[in-house]
Amino acid sequence: MTELVTLSIDGKQVTVPKGTLVVDAAKQAGIDIPVFCYHPKMEPAGMCRMCLVELGRPMIDRATGQPVLENGQPKIQWAPKLETACTNVVSDGMVVLTRSEKARAGQQEILEFLLTSHPLDCPVCDKGGECPLQNLTLDYGPGKSRFLYNEKHHAEKHVPLGELIWLDRERCIQCGRCVRFQRLVAGEPVLAFDERGRDTEIITNSEPAFDSIFSGNTTDICPVGALTTADFRFGARPWELKSAASLCAQCPVGCNITFNTRREAKSGGRVVIKRVMPRQNEEVNEIWICDKGRFAYHFTESEARLRQPLIRRNGQLQPASWEEALDLAAAKLKAAGKDALILAGGRLSNEDLFNLKKLADGLGAQSVLYTHVGGGDLVTQIGLASGTNLADLGKGDTILVAACDLYEEAPIWWLRVKQAADRGATLIVVNARATRLDKHAGYVVRYAPGDETVTLQGLLKQDKIGAAIREAGNLLVFYAADGLDLNGSTSVAAACANLLIETGHFGRPNNGLIGVWPHANDQGAWEIGFRPEADLAAALKGKTVYIAAADPAGDDPRLAKALQDAGTVIVQELFQTATASLAEVVLPAAAYTEREGTFTSGERRVQRYYPAVPRWAETKADYVITAEIGQRLGLDLEAGAPALVFNRLTAEITAFAGLSYRKLAEVRPQWPIVGRADLYYGGTTYENKQGLGVHLAAAASAGESPHLPEVRKGSGPRPQEDALLAVPVTKLYDLGVTVRSSVLLEARIGLPAITIHPLTAEKMGLKAGEKAMIGLGGHENEVLVKLDETIPAGVALVPRSMGLPVSAPAPLSVGKAK
Amino acid sequence: MSLAEKYPEEIKRILAKYPPEHKRSALMPLLYLAQREKGYVDNHAMNEIAEMLEITPTEVAAMIGFYTLYHGEPAGKLRIQVCVDLPCALRGADKFLADLCANLGIEPGGTTADGLVTVEPVMCLAACDKAPVFQTQGPDGIAYHENMTVEKTMQLVEALRESGKEVK
Ligand code: SF4
Ligand code: SF4
Ligand code: FES
Ligand code: FES
Repeated sequence: MTELVTLSIDGKQVTVPKGTLVVDAAKQAGIDIPVFCYHPKMEPAGMCRMCLVELGRPMIDRATGQPVLENGQPKIQWAPKLETACTNVVSDGMVVLTRSEKARAGQQEILEFLLTSHPLDCPVCDKGGECPLQNLTLDYGPGKSRFLYNEKHHAEKHVPLGELIWLDRERCIQCGRCVRFQRLVAGEPVLAFDERGRDTEIITNSEPAFDSIFSGNTTDICPVGALTTADFRFGARPWELKSAASLCAQCPVGCNITFNTRREAKSGGRVVIKRVMPRQNEEVNEIWICDKGRFAYHFTESEARLRQPLIRRNGQLQPASWEEALDLAAAKLKAAGKDALILAGGRLSNEDLFNLKKLADGLGAQSVLYTHVGGGDLVTQIGLASGTNLADLGKGDTILVAACDLYEEAPIWWLRVKQAADRGATLIVVNARATRLDKHAGYVVRYAPGDETVTLQGLLKQDKIGAAIREAGNLLVFYAADGLDLNGSTSVAAACANLLIETGHFGRPNNGLIGVWPHANDQGAWEIGFRPEADLAAALKGKTVYIAAADPAGDDPRLAKALQDAGTVIVQELFQTATASLAEVVLPAAAYTEREGTFTSGERRVQRYYPAVPRWAETKADYVITAEIGQRLGLDLEAGAPALVFNRLTAEITAFAGLSYRKLAEVRPQWPIVGRADLYYGGTTYENKQGLGVHLAAAASAGESPHLPEVRKGSGPRPQEDALLAVPVTKLYDLGVTVRSSVLLEARIGLPAITIHPLTAEKMGLKAGEKAMIGLGGHENEVLVKLDETIPAGVALVPRSMGLPVSAPAPLSVGKAK
Repeated sequence: MSLAEKYPEEIKRILAKYPPEHKRSALMPLLYLAQREKGYVDNHAMNEIAEMLEITPTEVAAMIGFYTLYHGEPAGKLRIQVCVDLPCALRGADKFLADLCANLGIEPGGTTADGLVTVEPVMCLAACDKAPVFQTQGPDGIAYHENMTVEKTMQLVEALRESGKEVK
């Protein structure tokens, strides 16, 4: 039991856990103490003095150790001066006055001082309307200044801190929130204060500038308009914006977000997304999102989106009506029957996937998930159980991250795993190369490519690591396919599952297996019954293929070839991808931002998203398109609201049993309190009023005992003497279908580059930053050369989704650029 | 040439003074070492020190920015750092600074055309009772000059100018 402390704040009796700060105790009791530098997610700094209050403690008689009484009441010893509520911890019998005359005078003076060097350019400031300085000045400020306007401090107003964030030095009130966020929360201390006193200013000296994938969060917690995003700055006024609750669809974390939208003349009278803001879900993303989630939303409004159905006539894809296109697609699928194949990507919602699965079942066709990460069936069995929260992990717990670069693949998981390690959890990182997580790990285990499975199998035999796994209070295992293909990743998953099962870490909260999928809803696809195909090219042969939300031809020339050799190809997409260009029928899909639906995150949490903007051109939602095809085949598929599809899904798929849209929309009070009225406290992050989501029941929690999966014997490909082995790795900012339309990210996406060991480079006469020609899978590509001493000699890291054909470890030749 | 190549022994000695898990504590002595080169710490040196101590270049720059004794920008051979904090201001430091600069033909913070002298206003030098006061920072180290007048200061500058000639 946590010890409780009772104190009085403005005459109200408040009971809070020992160790609580006065400012938080007040907040919990519904009393606002104004703050600028304090933020409930970070240790206090006591820098701004905005939170001044009168503070008294019961006077203690030194001789007896008893409180001194006065008229039967404890006598209060008042602090001689005002105290900061953000640095003082509560104690029993403490008396706090936040609105006394003295306290108010102190608060007023601090604001008067702050405003002496503030430009007060609210009318043109992006923060205006949601600015803590503006709001607190109205509530606590003096109304009038005794300082001379002409002696205001002036500083640079348009300072780019990298391509994503701009700094207005004049507006900065030196609260240090951004600096502390980067150091304490993000673990990337690339902002700091330069100079002193009035000349204090924020600087970044990293290369590239403000080198952090969490930089956007500083604009949420900056209490003034000093930090703004390049994306939103001068874009709109906060009060013109509508908000729609949604989820980030860029990775399997499932961060809760809010899309702010506006109808504007600038966009031809369309309603468009103006910015992405985090939405609080303390069990998923707390109040943060990564920069990919914040800035890669522009695909929705891209003019390159497919507008209407296309049908191939005389060898050319030509516009057609929905009737024609659906009829043709249905006829082709009908003719194929069980020789049809449905290939779906993890960008689709649970509802879309369910309809696709029903269609496949109706035809007797195979339903294939397009992914390079395997093992989702294991996650279904021993994935995370309800009640899991990464924030609960700490001392005595262990987190294993295998064949995965969490930083690039799932940033918010990286952040939360790092924080668990900071709290004392034992972090074990197992990979063929160094990643950003190593710095925070208790144990780093490196294997030679090909040895990933045996290495994982051997972990329990290692003294300390074995003990850390076996004796862990809670054990979480993240895995992916770093340097591997689907087969490699499947065996890694099996080896990881064995570790969990053998040591009994499953079927309860905060224990289990997490697949770090390439998309937001791969786990949902596994749950619904989609399975990847180890040899996709062979599986496509002679089939009538219905592909939704996947671009195999763009990823891999061999798959493009296989599709050319397949029977009919029907493609349902947002864009005219390489795969769509091979199709007979192209069905334009609505983006997830334009409709409702649910995703199942890698943690197996099912969450809802809501429509943010109207559907683009003639597009239709994926589940509707599938249902309309199904209906033409005499199948009873739901084309009504997604909630209706979801009802059918929950009736059929056991893991989803008992869920409903209403249940997914339930909320509970969360700490810290954030939202519009409290933005001085938590920042501009949105309060969650639309649903925290629900974990799927893991088969193991329901009492089913998991079977120990068989682990593939033998090993994956190894580098050979005198030849380089290209291994696929994931890059956060890549050329993915939903990323490349965001021009702002161009510099971070960069040119395709391979990474090799300096010795390998030397042998080949290559230098860092030079261009080279690589031969891979029978194709030649120009790339940049990067060096990394931590990767094994003989291996070249080749990024996925950067236009290089790398879907599996494969031999690579490197030559000088032409 | 990198610092590591130029001063391997001295760097080793400095680093040895701190436990490896707190090696960032070696930042200040390493900055003095780097500054010895050109009178300021250039970008190369900042990055090199950051790498040595496993901190970010931003953190190194912040340290240089915080202390008036470190410099991130080139300046004159001799830096005259005049205290203009409140107690000194009460003893005329503001006027002293303005007059000195006028005599040298520069703005506060500026450098004389011959690259000899830079005059900078700084915060309290802990000699408030002896204002006007400044500290000089140059190749010969740091020195205090208390109860100064513009005349005495100009003599100092002249002497330096002369000696500069002699050296040449
Ligand atoms: S930029 Fe914003 S968050 Fe950073 S110190 Fe200035 S006011 Fe605070
Ligand atoms: S961590 Fe993943 S889900 Fe969260 S904002 Fe980033 S890309 Fe989106
Ligand atoms: S000093 Fe308490 S909020 Fe800044
Ligand atoms: S105020 Fe100038 S030395 Fe102290």
